[in-house]
Amino acid sequence: MNRFEGKSVLVTGGSSGIGLAAAHAFAAEGARVIITGRDSAALAEARAALGGNAIALRNNAGVVAEARDLAAALASQQIRLDAVFINAGSAKFAPFADVDEALWDQSFGTNVKGAYFQIQALLPLLDAGASIVLNGSINAHIGMPNSSVYAASKAALISLAKTLSAELLPRGVRVNVVSPGPISTPLYGKLGMDAATLEATAAQIQGQVPLGRFGTPQEVAATVLHLSAAESAFIVGSEIIVDGGMSQL
Amino acid sequence: MNTSLQDKIVLVTGGSAGIGLATARAFIDAGAFVYVTGRRQPELDAAVATLGPRAVGLRADAVSLDDIRKVFSRIAEDHRRLDVLYANAGFYEFGRLGDITEEHLDRSFDTNVRGLVFAVQGALPLMREGGSVILTGSIVATRGAEAFSIYAASKAAVRSLARSWAVELKDRGVRVNVVSPGPIDTPGLGGLAGEPANLAPLKQHLASTVPMARMGRPDEVAHAVLFLASDQASFITGAELTVDGGASQL
Repeated sequence: MNRFEGKSVLVTGGSSGIGLAAAHAFAAEGARVIITGRDSAALAEARAALGGNAIALRNNAGVVAEARDLAAALASQQIRLDAVFINAGSAKFAPFADVDEALWDQSFGTNVKGAYFQIQALLPLLDAGASIVLNGSINAHIGMPNSSVYAASKAALISLAKTLSAELLPRGVRVNVVSPGPISTPLYGKLGMDAATLEATAAQIQGQVPLGRFGTPQEVAATVLHLSAAESAFIVGSEIIVDGGMSQL
Repeated sequence: MNTSLQDKIVLVTGGSAGIGLATARAFIDAGAFVYVTGRRQPELDAAVATLGPRAVGLRADAVSLDDIRKVFSRIAEDHRRLDVLYANAGFYEFGRLGDITEEHLDRSFDTNVRGLVFAVQGALPLMREGGSVILTGSIVATRGAEAFSIYAASKAAVRSLARSWAVELKDRGVRVNVVSPGPIDTPGLGGLAGEPANLAPLKQHLASTVPMARMGRPDEVAHAVLFLASDQASFITGAELTVDGGASQL
């Protein structure tokens, strides 16, 4: 398929995991891909792997000023965006009793405030027909222990897909959500657990997935591309859950 | 477009017109071989004629368990397997509380729920690892629908069935999902409108309920069905894909 030939696509948090898989999938279908991330080394590596005319820009999705810088940088290169995947996020888990303000601020600062103002800053770069996909999470729909802040932040993000869709429809811009369940990504290494705890947690989660396995970043990317392509033009403000059935049990 | 659908064996129930026909055509364009069922032979023949040599029409009433059995016997004879079932055959008519008859309720649930249950069950022996079942739901399943309560309830049942079946079929590697359309411009609206003079006002009203300010096209629903049927959706099961121009979402 070549659904993104001649299109420009921005993937925030595009240097690893689901973001990187989406960037590769977009590029494979002809898109010029712009990825952002905080880790310069990972960005450089990802850009090299993406090849072609891919662009990598260092950016902290939790800082509103940097969201505006990103839009300005793209504008200065006369880049218009056909699709945006708001994927950069923070996933910090802690028992309710232990959650502190810093964890709250980081989670909501990146997943809600950062995403919100990033989209706002990008608006002048979007033409009619552009599509925005937000990376949600099934945590917004289930009561997984220790996920309270993360889950609430993703619920807020999912809500934005609806209100922003309503406001952006006159511009011909659609906003939808892909909500992954458990996916094998480097994210799991970032949760701050030791190897044994991580393994036990993974096995426990896997047991709750009807398909009996973790999903792959590529499987989430395929849905992102579907929601970004013209073929989904009548899908607006909607959410596609990619979780092997986990949230349905 | 979806290379993973090349040479797949697909059954589309209710494929003579509208969403079913558009989806059958999309599957054929993607390289699949498609069986379509329909209740009325002339409409079915006309549909198959437009679909070409990679389509076979099997006359079957979606409420008749006997007809359903015959469909699967035929597919088993021809191919011994089925890769995708799109259970799309459905029945709808208006029925306001106070005027709901037994016939209205029975026909709605017999087609949309009972017939669908036995269609999916009948397909199981033919479906292998990697198979995909897609059910046609409706956005009215999750919202109030004036003079449409029985249809809405029957589609809520369909949504529920997909959840349970997704879990029950996990060991067989068969995924079950729902595509829930909003207002789609199909020939079936003529029947819903009753008098021909009512059709234009009905369409106008339906379009006014959609944030995108138009009805969807059958092929826009077909794209969603093909996505769920393909390998692209390999980690999606028990889920619902809403194709409604934002009607139930905003």
